[in-house]
Amino acid sequence: MTCARVRQMLDALVDRELDTATDRELEAHLIACPECARLRAERVALRERMRAGAPYFAAPARIRNAVGNAVAEADGARQRPVKRPTWIKTALVAASAAVASLVAGIWIGRPPLDDARRESAVASHVASLAPQRQLIEVASTDRHAVKPWFSGKVDFSPPVHDLASEGFALAGARLDHVGDRQAAAIVYRVRSHDINLFVWRAAAEGRREETTLSVVRGFGVATWAQDGLRFAAVSDLELQDLKRFAELVREAR
Amino acid sequence: MGDPAIRQRFEATVLVHLDAAFNLARWMLRDDAAAEDAVQDASLRALRFFDGVRGPSPKAWFMAVVRNACLDRLKEGRQRVLEDAYDDEVHGLASARVGGTTAETPEAALERGAEAHWLYACIRSLPIENREVVVLRELEELSYKEISAIVDVPIGTVMSRLSRGRDLLRQRLLAERSRQRS
Repeated sequence: MTCARVRQMLDALVDRELDTATDRELEAHLIACPECARLRAERVALRERMRAGAPYFAAPARIRNAVGNAVAEADGARQRPVKRPTWIKTALVAASAAVASLVAGIWIGRPPLDDARRESAVASHVASLAPQRQLIEVASTDRHAVKPWFSGKVDFSPPVHDLASEGFALAGARLDHVGDRQAAAIVYRVRSHDINLFVWRAAAEGRREETTLSVVRGFGVATWAQDGLRFAAVSDLELQDLKRFAELVREAR
Repeated sequence: MGDPAIRQRFEATVLVHLDAAFNLARWMLRDDAAAEDAVQDASLRALRFFDGVRGPSPKAWFMAVVRNACLDRLKEGRQRVLEDAYDDEVHGLASARVGGTTAETPEAALERGAEAHWLYACIRSLPIENREVVVLRELEELSYKEISAIVDVPIGTVMSRLSRGRDLLRQRLLAERSRQRS
């Protein structure tokens, strides 16, 4: 790889946006080329400086209130929307899911029969983010603190992993439901996105199911089954990242 | 939107990003009042179209609505924004959060304040197309794909605008330092 090409991709490297193969190729070049390595160090320093020192403008309380009021008002004034015929809705959902999968660059498997479960998992995810609810009942980044918290609360032992090195930080856990089933909800965080990992007991013991990705109401959902447990990871993360998360959880031991 | 489930979903998926929305608007418009108006407009627009939203990231969608509201404002009131921006050079940081802890010494706080002003002046003078991607990447930590969805350009363009933005930032930070020394 030439220096010019490397420098073109230096930002993507610093931002960890490259695939593993290209990433390795660039790293190999940087070991051999002190000038490119210096440019990379400069980029990293600039970024760290920005993150540590650049001002962040959080929404002031008055705008939070103004928006809240405006939304409530618009809500009251608005008529209940005319219901479209269901087939159009279905077609729209299918079309937008197809577009979403194109954008995400990955294939979204055809959802099997348990649409209802997925829908319930998303409902629980949404409810857990509401301000009056507690997303986390036991807050800890230590899996040895989170896992035992479930004993005596649910009749199975949900796997809790430390995935911080992969960018998915453990934030904590709570008890929740998916539909009518009691579920353990383990919360991970990546950048500013929350991931709810719901775990509950599978009806059929020991059945293994591959990961299925889908988009429900705008949220990404990854579902699978292993070791007699069912899993549903829900987040507003990009599907590709959610897929990676699901793979990491599946493979972690 | 009489449906409480949709209302709740709107609050859970859109209003939780109000900080990110305001930060982007404030950096694009460089004025507190204009940013507040833009975010409020954008929230109402978002509410109106929310039923139809599908896709992998509601945050990216909301941020795109906010960005459009900002661009509308820049188009209609270019002159006014420029004047306000001049004033902003002096008072710009009144509403910002600049990190730090309560345990630090007054000297450290002062230094941190100076650093924030320095970075602020350099970022705010970037051309808007570079400024917005720099803010979305460095302050919001969004992925290239999310930024590409918000700014509505291909990922390659995000990459080159970000790269150019960082080059300019580096030059400006260096120039600013030699100016302060002399």
